[in-house]
Parts: sequence; structure tokens; C-alpha cells
Amino acid sequence: METSFALTGKGYVIIASDTTAARSIVKMKIDEDKVKALGPHLLMAHSGEPGDTLQFAEYVERNIRLYNIRHNYSLSPSAAASWVRRSLAESLRSRHPYSVNLLLGGYDVPAKEPHLYWIDYLGTMSEVPFGAHGYGSYFALSLLDRYHNPDASLEEGIATLKRCIDEVAKRLIVSPSKYTVKVVDKDGVREIEV
Amino acid sequence: MNTFASRFSSTSAGAELSKAKAIAMEDDDFSDASWGSEAGYGSLAKGVPTFSIPSVADPTAFLRLHTDDSSDPNCRIKIQHGTTTLAFRFKGGVIVAVDSRATAGSYVASGTVKKVIEINPYLLGTMAGGAADCQYWETYLGIHCRLHELRNRERISVSAASKYLSNLVYGYKGMGLSMGTMICGWDKTGPAIFYVDSDGTRLKGDLFSVGSGSTFAYGVLDQGYHWDLSDEEAQELGRRSIYAAGHRDAFSGNTCNLYHVKEDGWKFIGNYDVSKMHYEGPGDVPGSAGVAYGYDIRVEGRSSADS
Amino acid sequence: MSIMEYNGGSVIAMVGKECVAIASDLRLGNQALGISSNFQKIFPVTDRIYLGLPGLATDVTTLQELFRFRVNMYTIKEEREIQPETFAHLVSSTLYERRFGPYFIEPVIAGLSQTPSGGFKPFIAATDLIGCLNFAKDFVVAGTASSKLFGVAEGLWEPDLEPEDLFETISQTLMNAVDRDAYSGWGCVVHVITKDKIITRTLKGRMD
Repeated sequence: METSFALTGKGYVIIASDTTAARSIVKMKIDEDKVKALGPHLLMAHSGEPGDTLQFAEYVERNIRLYNIRHNYSLSPSAAASWVRRSLAESLRSRHPYSVNLLLGGYDVPAKEPHLYWIDYLGTMSEVPFGAHGYGSYFALSLLDRYHNPDASLEEGIATLKRCIDEVAKRLIVSPSKYTVKVVDKDGVREIEV
Repeated sequence: MNTFASRFSSTSAGAELSKAKAIAMEDDDFSDASWGSEAGYGSLAKGVPTFSIPSVADPTAFLRLHTDDSSDPNCRIKIQHGTTTLAFRFKGGVIVAVDSRATAGSYVASGTVKKVIEINPYLLGTMAGGAADCQYWETYLGIHCRLHELRNRERISVSAASKYLSNLVYGYKGMGLSMGTMICGWDKTGPAIFYVDSDGTRLKGDLFSVGSGSTFAYGVLDQGYHWDLSDEEAQELGRRSIYAAGHRDAFSGNTCNLYHVKEDGWKFIGNYDVSKMHYEGPGDVPGSAGVAYGYDIRVEGRSSADS
Repeated sequence: MSIMEYNGGSVIAMVGKECVAIASDLRLGNQALGISSNFQKIFPVTDRIYLGLPGLATDVTTLQELFRFRVNMYTIKEEREIQPETFAHLVSSTLYERRFGPYFIEPVIAGLSQTPSGGFKPFIAATDLIGCLNFAKDFVVAGTASSKLFGVAEGLWEPDLEPEDLFETISQTLMNAVDRDAYSGWGCVVHVITKDKIITRTLKGRMD
């Protein structure tokens, strides 16, 4: 089952998503990257209906890039999240809505603050200190209520993320085997190994 | 008595009942006189009681039509459901912790339900699924555990008690019984937990959680669990896990009831309000660090912003 | 599964003596799973009008943005603040625009309207999801705990409550009602609107 987690820490957001692309009962691919860098300080994990996810992610990516080119200025994480939410909400009442769940994390450079937004396919948005999508959320959210620390170092944040991954591996019937993990902080976006 | 036809027709609910009776019937060869007064339990001590059944062609489908609110939210009878229960074994015995919320649809019907059934001083049963089903059959199990004691001059093992319950409910499979229970206790073999449900599953294990909030409880429980927990740490882990489920799951909460089973039987440790645990912690109890469980309260004053 | 119960949440508004109060819970859920305990459903429209939007959370945000836009346009064109009665009709017609594919929201409006003599008159109203207006003299409720809110409010509300007494009444009504609703709760917020100030307080509600 598709699972994604994200959590904030002191000056960063970590976003992790499983790497399987499934069709019916078959794993078509086991190293699919489902965390997209939308800008120098913006990350987005996408999951949901196959096809919709990548189409929507690329649509968002290009529009945010376009904004950047036109204004020579990046959207702040909160502005980007509002735009993405509205795109999903408008799509919901169209003839063919996108079924995509998102975790959008970014580093607000002027304010020196990390932000994380939980967005579902309906266009429901909430700013959260940590979030998850998929069946993994039923195990990870209570765990994060217990272990998450908003001013944790990156090492501590990764250790907490590992707890989530281990817990889901232990309890979820069809648990993902591999995750891509990306971090966004004042230095930008980078992938890390866990 | 049953006619030949009804006994062998597979569709008759009467036949299913008589099958159930046959499975659980073990004291048929004792007359009522052997046991003297039946203490108002009527035919209970004689195998399985009989139940009246709606006089329609398919009683099981009839029941499901009017009670199953997942397929039809407007159904007239809403069976109470939604729960978090957990039990785990460790070096100091067994910890049993449950919440106390009963919901019917979105309505919180009660916040003070006793979901631990005290079968006897050495056995506890937990309650998830149909409240009445669990209460009735676990009380009934208690009667038979006592009869076992009288007959064999020794306490029933947790294994045997759970097997008895498992066989009983399996006899009613497909008729709408709904229960997910953990039979916990201490016997000759030491601490023991068995998970028994109305599908007929019976599992021996060290750590179980059952109910709509079980995943949330597992999230905290698995991370904090190891065999060599002290008594205080184990009790704290049970409390914290029920809080986690009570917080995140809409159908769990209100209070947590905590039990500890040791060699000399079970002991009720306490009743803790989930909301009080959120804002203040469980209070001055063994194992508590004295801090609030609530996320916002725990991290108050900390910030993710770079200074 | 009802779409109106997908995210949970409830709002109530009450009339007092020269004041009105509006209150809501703070839960955002995905059916049984709680997601956030800080999801605002009540928004200021003007200095003396508040709007509560219980229902499907995506539409809460969409409608909040839409009403902000329309009220701003009204203010610019008319060069005056919108009155609660006018705003109620704006809400109603905005919802009826989507008669055959509605927003899944049951709005609650609370405000003070200006009288010709310069005084202020309490105003509350609610609509259904396609904009049928309901003007009430006592209280209005909406959301997943609405049936419970009706029951408690019928028992606790009385006419001509002073701001502090109205605050107590609406708080007790909301807190006790949401404690009996699985989909509402996780904290509450109350706004009391008086002619010269707004009292906003966040309540420590049950968190289960």
C-alpha cells in the first residue's frame, strides 16, 4: 500500500514516500521517486490514483516554475500550498478530478521557518507539524504524537522517521520495502539515505 | 426434538443452533441433580442455551439487514461498536488496558463502559465488537471455568478457557455474532494471552490490540515494548497506548481502565481520564513521568524556526 | 458514509442582550481518524459579522476565500461595510448558484446590524447547503453534532444574556454537545460580538 510521511524539525522538513508503483496485484516498479522538488526550497510527496499523481505533480511543478520565471521570485511555501489546494478543489468539481494526496513541505527563506502542509485529493488542507497519507498514517500518527519533536536536530528527525518506517513494516500487511527520503532546509533540497 | 429433515438441512438456523449445541456440549452426561441449584441461570450450565430466532426464511440475512450500519447507515438497530483494547505479556505478568467509549453511529452512547470482563480472579477478558455478545459469552465462560474447577479440583488454564470460548463462538459462525476479545490470565505455564474472535480465530501471543483504535495503540505500544519492562514501565506503556488511540480515533476514548495480572491473580490498577492525561498526564501514579501526554502540551514553547 | 460527516465539525450561534456569540469545535478528521486539532471553521467577515462554515473541509476553505472576495468587492463598490442581513442573502445566493452540485457546507452567520438610530441589533441566521435561509431569534446550530446541540441549547439558552453570561451558555452548550459526538471536538473556540469589542477565547475541550 502507498504510504508517505513528513515531519518538521529545527529548520527543516523531511518528506518520505515509498517507492513502489503498483498495478493490480503486481509491483510494476520498486524505485519510483514520488517526492518532487518544486523549487529551490519546496518539496512535494504525491500519492493516489496512478497517472493522476504524476500528471498533477508535473502540472504543479511547471506552474510554480512559470511563476518563478515571470516574477523572478519564488512562491513562499504557504502561497504554493494555497495554490495547489485550490487547483485540487477546482479539479474536484470538474468532469475528471485528480485523485492525488499530497504532503507539501518547504522552507520559508525570509522568515527562516520550515512549513508542512497536509493536503488530500478533495482539496482539504491543514498546516501540521507532522503528517502522513495512506494506511501508514494509522500507525504513524500516534507514534509521532509520542515521539515528534519540533526542535529536533536532523539526526533526531531521521531517527523518528525510521521509527515510523519500522512500525509500518512491522504491522501493515502489504508494507512498502523502500522509501525515498528528501530534506528541505535553508540550503535547499537534497535526498538522504536512511 | 428436531426432525430428521431440520437436523440435516443446511439452511435452517435451528440446525445451526443444534450444531453449536453439539460442539459445546460436554456435560450432557450429568443430570441437573448433580449440581443442585442452578442459581437462576436456568439451562446455562447444561451446554449451550437456546435462543429464539426471527420467524423468517433467512434469520441471519434478516438480522444483518437491520443491524449492519456499515452497508446501511440508516438501519434501525445500531449495534454498539468502536473500541480500543490491548494486552501484553512481559516479565512481570500481563498488562490489560482498555478505553471506555461506546458509540452508536456518531453518537457517543456511553463513556463509562467496562470493557474488561472479570471472568474469575485469575482470568480477564476484553471486550471489542458487540458489547452484548462479549458480555454474555464471557460471563458464560466464567460459569464454565468454575465448573471446570469444581470437577477437576484445579483451575482451568488460559489456553483451555480460550479454546472453550473459541469453540462456542465458532458454532455460531455466520449468524452475526461480533466479538474480538483477549483472554488473559496466569496459569501453571505463567502469564498467557489468547486472542479469540467471532470468526473462530484463536491466537496465542505476547502482544495484541483489538478494535477501531488498535492501529494507534500499536504505534506507541510496539515502539515502547520489550520483555524486561518493569511493572511501572509496563503500566505506563499500557496507559500511554490507550491514550494514543483515544486521542486519534473518534470511536475510542473517555477513560482508560488498567489491569495487571500477576501470579496471584489480577489487580485493578486504576481508571484514567483520557482528556486529563492529555492536559496533565496520568497524575501521581507509578511509572508516570508526571508530564502531559498531549502533543501540543508536551512541545509547548519549542519551535521549528531557525533562530 | 455521508459526505457531510466526512471531516466532522460543528458550529453554534446564540443571541444575547446587545450581543451575539458564535462558537465551533476545532477538529479536522478523515472519518474516524483525527488529522488536526486546529482547524478553524469560523471566520471574521467584518468587524461585526462572523461566519461559521461546518461541513466538508475543502469547501470550508473554498467558501471562506469566495466570501472574502465577494465581501471585498461589495465594500469597494458600495463604499460601506456589508450589513448582516445583506451578507446572509449573499451567502444564500452564493450557495444556490451551485443548486445542482452543491458546496457541502451549512453556514451559520452571527453579527450585529446597525439600526437607523445608530444602535446595534443582534442578528443570527443559518442556511442549509443550497442556501435556504433560517432567521432565528434564539440560537442556530449546524454540523455533525447539530442534533445534540439543539438538545443542550434548548435547555440552557435564555433571553437577554449579558456578554459574559452568553459566553458561559454557548461554551457549556457546545462543549457538552460535542462530547456526545464522535466527529466533533478536539478543542473549541468562542467569539462573542458586542458593540464595542469582540471577545475570542479558545476552550480546553476534551481531546478524545
